[in-house]
Amino acid sequence: MRVLIYLVLAGLALVLQTVLLPPFFPNGIKPDLMLLLVIWIGLREPPWQGGVLVYGLGWLYDSYAGIFPGLHGFVLLAVFLIICGMATRLNTESLPLVWCLVGGGTLLQGALTMFAIEFFADADQFWTVMLRCLPAQLLSNLLAAYLLYCAGLRFQKIVDRLPPGMMPRPLRRHES
Amino acid sequence: MWEWWKKNRSLLIGLALVLTALLCYSLGLRTEERTGWIEGLSLRLGGPVLGTAASARYAVAGIWDAVIPGGSSLDLDAESRRLRAEMAGVEELQRENERLRRLLGFVEEHPRRSVAARVIAEDAASWFRTIEIDRGYEDGVVEGLPVVNAAGLLGRVVRSTAHSARILLITDASSAVAVLVQDERIRGVCRGQGGTLALDFALVQDPIQIGDGVITSGLGGVFPKGLVVGYVRSVHREQFGLFQTVELEPAVDFAHLEEVLVLFRETP
Repeated sequence: MRVLIYLVLAGLALVLQTVLLPPFFPNGIKPDLMLLLVIWIGLREPPWQGGVLVYGLGWLYDSYAGIFPGLHGFVLLAVFLIICGMATRLNTESLPLVWCLVGGGTLLQGALTMFAIEFFADADQFWTVMLRCLPAQLLSNLLAAYLLYCAGLRFQKIVDRLPPGMMPRPLRRHES
Repeated sequence: MWEWWKKNRSLLIGLALVLTALLCYSLGLRTEERTGWIEGLSLRLGGPVLGTAASARYAVAGIWDAVIPGGSSLDLDAESRRLRAEMAGVEELQRENERLRRLLGFVEEHPRRSVAARVIAEDAASWFRTIEIDRGYEDGVVEGLPVVNAAGLLGRVVRSTAHSARILLITDASSAVAVLVQDERIRGVCRGQGGTLALDFALVQDPIQIGDGVITSGLGGVFPKGLVVGYVRSVHREQFGLFQTVELEPAVDFAHLEEVLVLFRETP
């Protein structure tokens, strides 16, 4: 059931990123909601199930972003595993920490994307585009994370009323 | 050894998974120009959803523009709002008619078989420049075909499913188009820079001026000759460099794409 919820959220994120958000972000830089979802999954799911799910979501993302199949599968899986490893040592319920995770996740995603494209694909000037976009991407991701965090607090009561099977797994400190 | 493995097992398995994913990505680059089955399936499933969302977006945007011009007339009475909403529908049709008329003009100027398509989605990531259209291989839209609008060249088809296709725009960093500076007939390669374009391999002695038009040269066989790509925005010549740095302003307004034209190959 949780996997279904994650898939629905991923579909919603893609519709927002490809159709509904672009008119509000004329320079093409919009919040990366898929990355935020992966960070959220990294804080909630164990590495194996979560890793498979995130890799699949990466391939889904690749269908709607860029022309390099498997790129986001690799990037999002790496981000997920690092977040997963850190989740055991951090208080993941504080807002500043969420911001740190989103900021770090965005920079890591940018660095890994740049590495994968510059070293493996034929796109010489990609790094200039990436470096130009990255600060604005970071800001928009942080803003989106803040808004989602606030919305999440508001909807906490509604989520609490859902049947136990539909509840997302609570934040845990799994063994490393 | 066993103790070391037990201690670092999670890290090593995680690293192996990431490297495997990197290997899969690297192998996938060989099929970059073809639509893989995963992409085909998700584009096929997602196409109708994106199409519906795009229709809703265009409708709301049209009504919003007419009902609340500049977002400052929130005190309009209900009757006025209703009339404006009705007019919005008419104006939207007029604008669409105008855009299609311009596309038709392009078709008359360039007698080549083509199909018109509607833009239903943009790229999900901020650093890539692709769009999705509502025509696929059942309409004859296959990988490699050039895509234009009335203003000039947009890009080429890189993925195609039955009823939708993805277009790599010329402003994407992985896009390269063989071009000519129109007046001086200087050859070069136009590369995407995100929002702008750069003209590569223009020799430092080539007399390129700001405002010069740049068109496709027809070399490479993907884009037909003579399509407008952009205009020279700035030129920088280093004293000891071999090539000059030329920045181009795209002829197409990529921020407001709604209808496009896919050009078919000429059959001998």
